[in-house]
Amino acid sequence: MTRKLMFLLGLIAVLTFGARPALAHHGGAAFDQTKTQTLTGTVTRMDFVNPHVVVYMNVQNPDGTTTEWSGWLTAPNKLQRAGWTKNTLKPGDKVTLVGNQQKNGSPVLQIRKVTGPEGDLPTFEQ
Amino acid sequence: MRSRSVALAVAAAFALSASATLFSQQAGRGGGAPAAPSPPAPARDLSGVWMMRNPPGINGPWTNYTYTDPMKAPPSLTAWGEAEFKKARDSNGGNYTLDETNDPVLTKCYPPGVPRVYFHPYPFEVVQTPKQTLLIYEYDHWMRRVNTDGRALPKDPDQLWMGTSVGKWIDDHNFQVETVGFNTKTWLDRLGHAHSEDLKVTENFRRVDRDHLQVDIKMEDPKALAKPWVTTFYYENRPNWELGEISCSGDYLDWTQVEKGGKEYKR
Repeated sequence: MTRKLMFLLGLIAVLTFGARPALAHHGGAAFDQTKTQTLTGTVTRMDFVNPHVVVYMNVQNPDGTTTEWSGWLTAPNKLQRAGWTKNTLKPGDKVTLVGNQQKNGSPVLQIRKVTGPEGDLPTFEQ
Repeated sequence: MRSRSVALAVAAAFALSASATLFSQQAGRGGGAPAAPSPPAPARDLSGVWMMRNPPGINGPWTNYTYTDPMKAPPSLTAWGEAEFKKARDSNGGNYTLDETNDPVLTKCYPPGVPRVYFHPYPFEVVQTPKQTLLIYEYDHWMRRVNTDGRALPKDPDQLWMGTSVGKWIDDHNFQVETVGFNTKTWLDRLGHAHSEDLKVTENFRRVDRDHLQVDIKMEDPKALAKPWVTTFYYENRPNWELGEISCSGDYLDWTQVEKGGKEYKR
């Protein structure tokens, strides 16, 4: 029964998601994978460091206040090979981040897509 | 065990759905079957940077965290191997926090061992010298020295994280590496299959053509495995890549602060 269930779930995953292998060094369980958020704001800084590149960004809330979010990317090695540098995003840049928020409601985002001043930023070879 | 297996399957399915383009650190196949054949491979030359590109379906959705599909070809474990496996809280598929797994690579930054070292989404480089072939892995700078000076494997090897290796060319395109002498602190894969100090790993690096490398891996361990566990990994050459810096210690362990809601690392 268990084996059948495992097979079924695996098959569903393969058919649904194209069997993309997930081999994150770090897991994504701290982030709400069921909801995707889109945030637009102004970059305050970017740390181009291991293990994850971090984009800090001020986002204006509906009530007029501002919250600084941190958005987490993959390792700089991978982004570098795709053409990113530590200067790809600079303070003052207007960007849009799409991703998953920390489950506990913190202003922390697992980034899935970045659109910078000159359009979508390059993805990397997995 | 049953609930564990179900949880594994659910986690795998969930993780697959959650794999992200920019965030997740995936090793992968990157677009289906291995790319079109390239010019012939040079003779007795593996040098270069290689990135895993497993074709779809070779191991179901489990490709990058264990060697064979646990549904179709689970490893044949001894009673000891099974008991050790039950202690593992795996790091499969990306759906975990550092508090939830006991994968020693992730939670302690232990060296990954062999062949667990291949379960990282980063390339490795081969450097050949007259008496040694160096296997340099981008993940945490791990390097294996494969002695090619004709020496035999040690009969009573020291227990090391990455073992002691000897290698030889079987023909112009097949380089065989045998490794023994491991400590018992590492896992064989990301599901948590254990090995003993008697583990022997045999890797056959076959340069199929200029741009493609096939690595056949055989794990033998009479204490943990009732019969040898075999698999094949596939790699593509990346002539324009250079290995970068990765440090697990510190950098990677600090991630737990973010998992708990921290907006940045506090060091």
